Amino acid sequence: MEQNVDLTVDFAGLKLKNPVLTASGTCGYADELAEFMDVSKLGGVITKSITAAPRKGNPTPRIVETDAGMLNAIGLANIGLERFVSEKIPVLEQLGTTVFVNVAGQMIDDYVQVAERLAKEKAVAGLELNISCPNVKQGGISFGTDPTQIRDITKQVKAACGHKPLIVKLTPMVTDISAAARAAVEAGADALSMVNTFTAMVIDIETRRPVLANRTGGLSGPAVKPIAIYLVSKVYQEVARPAGVPILGGGGIRTAADAVEFMIAGAAAVTIGTATFVQPDTALHIIEGVRRYCTRKGLTTMNELTGSLQ
Amino acid sequence: MEKEVGAGHKGSFTAKVLSNQQIRECYYRLNLKLDPIGSRLFETAKPGRFVEIDLAGLPLPPEDKIPPALRDAAYRQILLRRPFSFSDVIFVPGQNGPCVKLEILYCILGPATLRMMTLAGGDTLNLIGPLGNGFALPDTLKKAVLIAGGMGAPPLLHLGGYLKRHRPEVETICFAGAKSCEDLPFTLKIGNLTGLVLEEFDVLGIPSLVATDDGSAGFRGFVTDCARRWLRDNQPNPGETLVYACGPEPMLAEAARLAKEFDLPCQVSMERMMACGIGLCQSCAVEIKTDSPGQTEYKLCCKDGPVFDSRNVIFNL
Repeated sequence: MEQNVDLTVDFAGLKLKNPVLTASGTCGYADELAEFMDVSKLGGVITKSITAAPRKGNPTPRIVETDAGMLNAIGLANIGLERFVSEKIPVLEQLGTTVFVNVAGQMIDDYVQVAERLAKEKAVAGLELNISCPNVKQGGISFGTDPTQIRDITKQVKAACGHKPLIVKLTPMVTDISAAARAAVEAGADALSMVNTFTAMVIDIETRRPVLANRTGGLSGPAVKPIAIYLVSKVYQEVARPAGVPILGGGGIRTAADAVEFMIAGAAAVTIGTATFVQPDTALHIIEGVRRYCTRKGLTTMNELTGSLQ
Repeated sequence: MEKEVGAGHKGSFTAKVLSNQQIRECYYRLNLKLDPIGSRLFETAKPGRFVEIDLAGLPLPPEDKIPPALRDAAYRQILLRRPFSFSDVIFVPGQNGPCVKLEILYCILGPATLRMMTLAGGDTLNLIGPLGNGFALPDTLKKAVLIAGGMGAPPLLHLGGYLKRHRPEVETICFAGAKSCEDLPFTLKIGNLTGLVLEEFDVLGIPSLVATDDGSAGFRGFVTDCARRWLRDNQPNPGETLVYACGPEPMLAEAARLAKEFDLPCQVSMERMMACGIGLCQSCAVEIKTDSPGQTEYKLCCKDGPVFDSRNVIFNL
């Protein structure tokens, strides 16, 4: 007899329908995605970064394709906290899935202001702290590469979150990602999200200039997956499992097999990013594929999968 | 009749290749038959919108078919979909609703379009569309001046055909320019009165004028200068005339200047690198003037465009 697979995930005090979420910056404010699929079937969505004041973002070109990936340098373009609350929160309330809002800023006070305001919203289940954006000069990645700063910002934003869980999104652009993870966990992070994009450059050999107007951008897509798998596995073993903090893993996931790989490495749930650009309903295919894998392997809960690396 | 052609429903669907013909050295015409979902979505698709096509699974053409200039680029892998405008949308009535045929003109430019050379009748493609907003067609429109630069021509050919079918009272003229005559994605022929014309517009009954930078066909110089000469001679009424332009950005900027010179409104169809085409990635930003003087904001080419009122656009030059 076929056993039922329970896809639900206990994640930082929340119950997710399944372990598949759409990654920040790749699903807009989730309203655009709703035209292509039933968003309520997702484990969750993570909105693009919200900052206190609106941001225009970088000049174009903002993206460039590479073999097996792409670089982006959007520059945290967003409508700002005020408009997000008035225009997008009502939409997010109707989605029928768990909504995380990604929070960014230039100074700690900016992050705190946004987190404090959003934590009050019923539609917002939790926040994801973006201290790893490679494409803005202040804030962003500069916070995420120094454990002292990670500790400081995590502590202050966590205090502003009330009872809502705080996920800290880590950058892979460090020599010791476990030190960064440890700093976040010690300062009160309820979960770790990893990894953000890898700082990269593409040069136009005709003009001998970088293709992106921002010169550099963040590499995502299938090219980064094996590195992300390694980093998730490392942080799971060294920090997350001992501390009992879940990991939201992602980086180049295109198939259910990729998602399962991240979970075996130690992710409690996964995020789908670049693949959504190519096929908007990728996440739904992955949910079904994870279910099929579990059935085939006789796994009935997601806990049996997470961190099952031999 | 609608004033602004807004985005309706969009979705993901499949299309069967009916034919894929080479029309010039590097230009091809692809005819697709959309599945029932796509056909329904395209019932309301107006000129100026676009589709995103997944081409990543296509093989490379045989080595001897690859243009020498692209032999190196051929070995690049592709991941993202590619955006394409269409040059015609044909509705074929059927028992279970209309079946839509889409015509796409494309130029072999890089690893994605190179792979499109291999498409043959019966092949299946996955498309997302129809995307973006089309050209504005106000009720007051009496004269449409189309200015096409290079591969900017297809959506204007669709617009020309659409106006003939749905707004026969509108007088349309097309100016098509390119670097050289072999860069025009059209068939040239000798017209009855005007000299060199474009066959594709001629069959629609739309007069056309050709300009080439090198003078290899038609007017020697920029297509906008060719259009300027005509505007000077004809002085169309600003209240009922619209300029529609599609082509490289410097040409669009020049078309915008030209329209301003003659006090005409101008619709420009912009192009940007885009990852998704549906407003998720935020990469295809176009700088647009806001109501506050001196202030600008970024709009998305895929969602807010690709057609913009030229008066509001800050061109990337």
